[in-house]
Amino acid sequence: MPKVVSIHSYRGGTGKSNFTANLATTVAALGSRVGVVDTDVPSPGIHNLFCLEPEQMGKTLNSYLWGEGAIEEAAYDISANVGVEGAGKLFLVPSSVKADDIARILKDGYDVRLMNDGFRNLVKALQLDYLFIDTHPGLSKETFLSIAISHVLIIILRPDKQDYQGTAVAMDVARQLNVRKVLLAINKAHSKLNPEALKQKVEETYSETVAGIFPLSEDIVQLASEGVFCVKYPEHPVSQEFRKVAQQIIEG
Amino acid sequence: MSNVGDLQSLASSITAMTSPFRNYLIDLHEKYRSLNEGAVADYIPELALAKPEWFGVCVVTAEGQVFEVGNCDQLFTIQSISKAFVFGLALEDHGREYVNSKVSVEPTGEAFNSIVLDEATNRPYNPMVNAGAIATADLIKGKDGTERLKRVLEMFKRYTGREHDINVPVFLSEKATGNRNRAMAYLMLNFGMVSDKIDETLDLYFQQCSIMVNARDLAMLSATLANGGVNPVTKERAIDERYVQDVISVMLTCGMYDASGEWAYRVGLPAKSGVGGGITAIAPGKLGIGTFSPPLDAKGNSVRGIKVCEDLSKDFGLHLFNVASPERNLQEWIAGGDGVNDW
Repeated sequence: MPKVVSIHSYRGGTGKSNFTANLATTVAALGSRVGVVDTDVPSPGIHNLFCLEPEQMGKTLNSYLWGEGAIEEAAYDISANVGVEGAGKLFLVPSSVKADDIARILKDGYDVRLMNDGFRNLVKALQLDYLFIDTHPGLSKETFLSIAISHVLIIILRPDKQDYQGTAVAMDVARQLNVRKVLLAINKAHSKLNPEALKQKVEETYSETVAGIFPLSEDIVQLASEGVFCVKYPEHPVSQEFRKVAQQIIEG
Repeated sequence: MSNVGDLQSLASSITAMTSPFRNYLIDLHEKYRSLNEGAVADYIPELALAKPEWFGVCVVTAEGQVFEVGNCDQLFTIQSISKAFVFGLALEDHGREYVNSKVSVEPTGEAFNSIVLDEATNRPYNPMVNAGAIATADLIKGKDGTERLKRVLEMFKRYTGREHDINVPVFLSEKATGNRNRAMAYLMLNFGMVSDKIDETLDLYFQQCSIMVNARDLAMLSATLANGGVNPVTKERAIDERYVQDVISVMLTCGMYDASGEWAYRVGLPAKSGVGGGITAIAPGKLGIGTFSPPLDAKGNSVRGIKVCEDLSKDFGLHLFNVASPERNLQEWIAGGDGVNDW
């Protein structure tokens, strides 16, 4: 049975797209067929990490939502861009980066049910094992929907007060939507924090599992928005942490 | 409204969108969309305008959750489906004994438009054949035709939660070509089974058949009966609780024209169909189903609608007399969860 994984954070700047790109690539590299949908329609960005240039994009998620074609027509095979080989495949459904398209979808909205139907059609058409949904920060109808449809919801937070509060709100929503499994990922943890103590504190606060802790890493910052870190540095501790999270998704 | 209430209501509308049950209905709709059998009714030109590809499926639970797929906003005329509900109104107007003295409740193997009355009592066989429906319409109270029609329309509004209009061209066509129905009415007048305001009653009958509904309305009609006569969304009572069983049992025995016996056996859901392409079906205490697809089989029932009801009944164990564990648990499929594989 295919698995849907949503990656959410209450606030922006948590490194959500970066996290999604690395995790999806890690799962694909382990031999699965993986799709990523950028539902961050107001501020799309994950395509940069997968080295998919706007000029290479024909149809996008926007086209599907406007009824201009099937969602799989907006899926791009980016396996080669990120060095995924063998049985594994990685596909991206990007959101349009054209200002006109963003304005149109914000102004006119769309039937959010189409998002649900599109996810299902995409999984069937591309025979995906995993579908990763990169969401817009904060709460909106589409984040509610992607949370509700998920088999696994990953909430990314930074260890600071604002994110603690925001994550509590997101957890409330997730419980209201009967989400099946929640994993927390702590990102941009300062090196002076004790990871074990941090993990324990966060798990006690939310009564959910912390799947991984990612340091405030200069290595990642350097490569930010230019490629998938764990492909370039597979043996780096950060890449190993991603494999740990991937394992929890595959086994869970 | 408090924030908690808002969160709950948004969450419930979102979970209805992502519910495995809705996904099941999407797959079911897809499965039968390409089934191109049957023919659109064309005994009056207005009905022949219906597009054969129109196809809507709506399910409303007794708790008021609404699941819809396909053309659920497309309006069409309710036709014979009205008969079951007008029968309920006649029961409220006169009580069971009097109504039974005018219309029997015996299924007939004859076609819906046959001109046959019970030889011993002169009663039409049941309220679902045309003769019985005309005799039932005759019983609707009101000082004149306008008030009687208004009472019928208000009744439908209580069931569906919205205003209904009459399709005037359909009404006029039915009236202009309804000589067979007129003949039945006069035959019944001859036996003293109906009052002498024949034209007014026939107008009311043609009008009730020309009421415009959509698939969602049909699901609301049956969900209201499934919920004991109270609309599960608006919480308004549509019919006296004493007569819910009358309406449902006649639907079970006579609702699908002369296919009713096999329907009760195979599908086991009390239902009523109309030549406009609608079917409304009830799983008492659980849900109401509304389907709309104009192509009809030889017995006058919507081909795709039959398939949808058959599958829903089989997959969720909705047959009235089913005791075996169904393949799918309805509550789990509506709520979602780990036990459900809807991919």
